[in-house]
Amino acid sequence: MSMSMTYSPAARTGSRTPSGLLRPLGRQARQLLLPTGTTVAILLAWEIVVRAYAVPVSLMPAPSVIFARLMESRGAILAHTIPTATETVLSFLLATVLGIVLAIALTYSRTLKSAVYPGVVLFQLIPKVALAPLFVVWFGIGSESRLAFGVFIAFFPIVIATMAGLRDTPPDMLRLCRVLTATNWQMFMSVRMPYAVPHIFSGMKISVTFAIIGVIVAEFITAQRGLGYLIVFASSQADTPLILAAIFALCVVGLLLYGAVGLAEKIAARFYGAS
Amino acid sequence: MHTSHLSADRVSKTYQGTAGTVEAVHNATFSIEKGEFVSILGPSGCGKSTLLMMLAGLEPATSGTIMEAGQPVAGPRNDIGMIFQDATLLPWKTVMQNVLFPIDILKKNVGDYRDRAMELLRMVGLADFRDHKPAQLSGGMRQRAAICRALIHDPHLLLMDEPFSALDAITRDEMNVALLDIWQRYKKTGVFITHSIREAVLLSDRILVMTRRPSTIVCDVKVPFERPRQPSIVETMEFNDLCNALRHTIEHGADAGAHPLPSRRSPHAPTLATSE
Repeated sequence: MSMSMTYSPAARTGSRTPSGLLRPLGRQARQLLLPTGTTVAILLAWEIVVRAYAVPVSLMPAPSVIFARLMESRGAILAHTIPTATETVLSFLLATVLGIVLAIALTYSRTLKSAVYPGVVLFQLIPKVALAPLFVVWFGIGSESRLAFGVFIAFFPIVIATMAGLRDTPPDMLRLCRVLTATNWQMFMSVRMPYAVPHIFSGMKISVTFAIIGVIVAEFITAQRGLGYLIVFASSQADTPLILAAIFALCVVGLLLYGAVGLAEKIAARFYGAS
Repeated sequence: MHTSHLSADRVSKTYQGTAGTVEAVHNATFSIEKGEFVSILGPSGCGKSTLLMMLAGLEPATSGTIMEAGQPVAGPRNDIGMIFQDATLLPWKTVMQNVLFPIDILKKNVGDYRDRAMELLRMVGLADFRDHKPAQLSGGMRQRAAICRALIHDPHLLLMDEPFSALDAITRDEMNVALLDIWQRYKKTGVFITHSIREAVLLSDRILVMTRRPSTIVCDVKVPFERPRQPSIVETMEFNDLCNALRHTIEHGADAGAHPLPSRRSPHAPTLATSE
């Protein structure tokens, strides 16, 4: 009889545990296997098509050729990867700090917000890549120019995300703090900033990919080294396998940086997460 | 007057809206004694939350004065416990850390309050959940934690802004019983905003009925049931008669007169006869 069944909290959690353990495993396997499988299939198809139709190497080399080129020039590619990675990391970190500081200032000063924010938004409407040559005029052809351009491209998402995060505190939470006569500093440190943390990380994930774009574009124009320079150089030699090998190195840099931000986010979630 | 803990004298609040001036509260006058539990009962949009914000010192009154313990209220003061419609717990802190949050803000030694926090959590049945995060709790449990947080620093005044209106009906009944117990044990002065007539009658010593136009207190009703109260009083005829009379007052205004309310006539409180 169904009426005689007892429905206790223990029974409920008990019934949830097995599926709760199994489901993420299945999901993880799918998350890993599906994209890997797709990539392998695409590479395989690419290899077959290029070989079958004898596509010229300068037009589209097969993956095996790109890989061979990567191995052959691994020393040179690594030497060009290091400055690109360093400049990307630096401009990303600078963009994060500047973006957070600007967002805090814009959140706390209404005057500053009305004065500056429309300009900041308007500036974002300009295709920023078009400004890259100007940075050469302003900052020269050194590292500063590429860093400045990387920061310029990367900092906007941080500003927007941080501002959204600082607005995310429930109004009643702020009322509670005010009733407890909390100082602005206490409210900022123990309530508003922690509420903003997840937003800031979403901004950082976008920003890190933007920073790479900024640095590469700047390298196209000015650099004597770096993966952007290597790509331009290789294309002047019609060395398509080297272009693609450099792009592969660029992807690895991007993935590592994105992964690092994701890891930092996971660590932060231990302190500021809801679970 | 000497026992009056909190009083409002012709308190009004107006806002400058885009469509002109909006009067959120109009000439509210009342007095609450020490240890009294008073509900402000009215429909949504009648300005009762605005009134509570003024009592908390979070909003200045446009005119009139609010006095607490003989002093005019000029701003927030930290011996108030507040409970909102939402539990508003910090999602990254455990239940225990949330309960201790006011101690942290007041820069007191958190260690000194751990036992008190445990006692409060035990009383509301959350002792086993002290290390859980809010997301792992039900809505009712979160609101219980919020009640503990409001009491942790032993405030003299507890202000509650529709604390159970976001909960389902069954949980809400449970929470009313829980609050009734807590109240009878700690005996704070309490102001409870609600639009539930039954909730107001079950919990309060007195009920101030607010209407929408004008946004003011139209009558002051003493709830005659003895304390400690049992939740079972909701089944009595007296309870339901009082609820019906209050409903009639809210629907038809204070001077409709068909259902006489056991009103408490005092110089501070406009009664049925003196409503504007």
